[in-house]
Amino acid sequence: MRSLKRAGSSAVGSTVCISIELFGTARMACGRKLIETRVPAYGSIKDLALVLARICPELVGVALRDDLSGLLASYTLNLNATEFVEGDELTLRDGDTLLLFSSQAGG
Amino acid sequence: MINGQEGLYGYNGRALVVDLTRQQSYWQTLDAAVLRRFIGGTGLGTYLLYTHCPPGIDAYDPANPLIFVTSPLVGSRLTTSSKFAVLTKSPLTGFIGDSLSSSFMATELKKTGCDALIVSGRSESPCLLSIDDGEVKFLDARSFMGMTTLDTERAIKQQLGHRTRVACIGPAGENLVRFASITNDGGRQAARTGPGAVMGSKNLKAIAVRGTHAVPVRDHDALNSIGADLTRRSLGPATEKYRTLGTMANVSVFNSLGTLPTRNFQQSTFDGAEGVSAEKFHESNFVKNAHCANCTIGCEKILVTSDKGKKAQGRMEYESAFALGPLVGVADGNTVIRASTLCDELGMDTISVGATIAWAMECFERGILTTKDTDGIDLRFGSGDELLECVRLIAERKGIGDLLAEGSRGAAQLIGQGTDAWAMQVKGLEMPGYEPRSLKTMALGLAVSTRGACHNRSSAYEADFSARVDRLKVDEVRGRITAEGEDFSAVLDSLIWCKFLRKAFGDLYEESAEIYRHITGWDMTAEELQLAGERINNLKKQFNIREGWSRDDDTLPPRVFDEVLPTGVVEGVGLSRQDLDMMVQAYYLARGWREDGTIPAAKLKELGLEDVVLEAVPSL
Repeated sequence: MRSLKRAGSSAVGSTVCISIELFGTARMACGRKLIETRVPAYGSIKDLALVLARICPELVGVALRDDLSGLLASYTLNLNATEFVEGDELTLRDGDTLLLFSSQAGG
Repeated sequence: MINGQEGLYGYNGRALVVDLTRQQSYWQTLDAAVLRRFIGGTGLGTYLLYTHCPPGIDAYDPANPLIFVTSPLVGSRLTTSSKFAVLTKSPLTGFIGDSLSSSFMATELKKTGCDALIVSGRSESPCLLSIDDGEVKFLDARSFMGMTTLDTERAIKQQLGHRTRVACIGPAGENLVRFASITNDGGRQAARTGPGAVMGSKNLKAIAVRGTHAVPVRDHDALNSIGADLTRRSLGPATEKYRTLGTMANVSVFNSLGTLPTRNFQQSTFDGAEGVSAEKFHESNFVKNAHCANCTIGCEKILVTSDKGKKAQGRMEYESAFALGPLVGVADGNTVIRASTLCDELGMDTISVGATIAWAMECFERGILTTKDTDGIDLRFGSGDELLECVRLIAERKGIGDLLAEGSRGAAQLIGQGTDAWAMQVKGLEMPGYEPRSLKTMALGLAVSTRGACHNRSSAYEADFSARVDRLKVDEVRGRITAEGEDFSAVLDSLIWCKFLRKAFGDLYEESAEIYRHITGWDMTAEELQLAGERINNLKKQFNIREGWSRDDDTLPPRVFDEVLPTGVVEGVGLSRQDLDMMVQAYYLARGWREDGTIPAAKLKELGLEDVVLEAVPSL
């Protein structure tokens, strides 16, 4: 199990431009597939939840916890379609894409 | 006699054994020790198959038993517990064939007074086997022959009463299509490994059951309390995907992750994925959710076509959407709905249908099959109408359909010319919608599964879709992960819980052991239950060994080793034979097996299987 800590050129306190791709009920609730936004380069899932809730309040209760402390257990994050995000810390670079989809794998 | 063994809770304590040749039946007592060791469902079914199937027979030999098994949970009203297992020697693989189905057929079968129904022999003429509270009748089924599964069920209910529950085959089963399904409760399918073909070989069109004898549970109040809590959890985040968009939600996610098998596994991303995604289906085709009996999740999505073509309405799951969509290059959702509905009505496994047609499409595009072979059908990837025509021809075994009814492995063997290189199957069972090159744990799970290329008997993909492992790399840990996943699944499939409930448990073994205690009154522990999972998997493997399994069978199709993935985030990713072999060896080691994959006598003894593997086949 790994938390996502990657070396990057961004300074602490800086922000990066990323994309968040929505799937399933999150996509349907927001009525869009993609969100492009700026987030802290060195932040947390909670920071991300706050940003997402501001852009798409419909995500609260669907993919985000009501208190915006993070994701609901039914959702998970994947970075650039290659690494599953674990833990609370999130280190991002310009151009990264986060995929937000159901945590229930397979079927 | 209606009642089972005196003093038993949760079980009837006996199996009904039916000989279609002689039109006779008898009751076989199931000892408490057997029930406790093999639980029910797939586990008990594996025991009964091992002891009833004469070694080395052909799957279509009348002596091959077709076994329907309920479980101690059936009738308890616990959420998702109304399930049954179907076991037989598979005509598709020649190894163990086990499938699960759900709903009222399970509860009604148990109420007839048996834990298992074992059907052997072959009827002289088409037969409807009726079991009414344990009374067996062999009825004439000639008037039902040729009917679709849904029409057969309707007609039998009309004849025997609406409370009757029916398991039947469609034209595909009658015509011995090797991946024919058995259908119950308006479209539930026991399909993988082709049990419907064995039913057809017995001239058995349908089984109708009706019962009135509920099996008591030991501690009703305790069970109700746990059941209420489980129901609450079944409506929470652990099942959100299944309750909302259903398993079809995998399509768009898998496409982005590069794990969506496309055009016969030539790619793992599909340009047209949007058209067959859950999001699109929900917007354009969704009618309603459907539930199995006693299920609070309701994963089934009923879809209807939305274009001007012939209307079709039916269930849709991820596996059907993948196999009849991306795998055959079809991006039109309405065509996928029609093809899936047609498979259900004709009684066929959608995965094997799609994968076998995908193999044929590749043969066509390579010039090995031509319009001369296909009676003019331009069988190219993405051809929707041609797909539908092919599905019909397979069920009827007409034209090219006769070849394809053998499955991808059988068809490749018949026409040769190296076409087995792209027959995407393991042990004869066509591969499900998980690309093994970009899901390395799943690759191992598919290779070693006793029923062939199956995702459900190990759920090995779960590790790949998590931070536990790097899904694109191999390591020896996958051996243990896969073995543990198989044992976990064997317990789920034997109790029987629906797999979609699995995340609602904090500790499956602890909670299930407690529930088992309340149902049976027997002092089951979590450790004993876990050991039962291992025992069941070892007996499945021992059955395959008896039927001719060799180490070479635990592998993947040549394409997986010879071609890297060409598109998406996984472009350039492959899997070498050496890497798979390393994981297979790690799996054997985790299982305590020999390097050649056979089971040492000491392991059989440790699991209490020594006597079982020596047990004589009872004569009718």
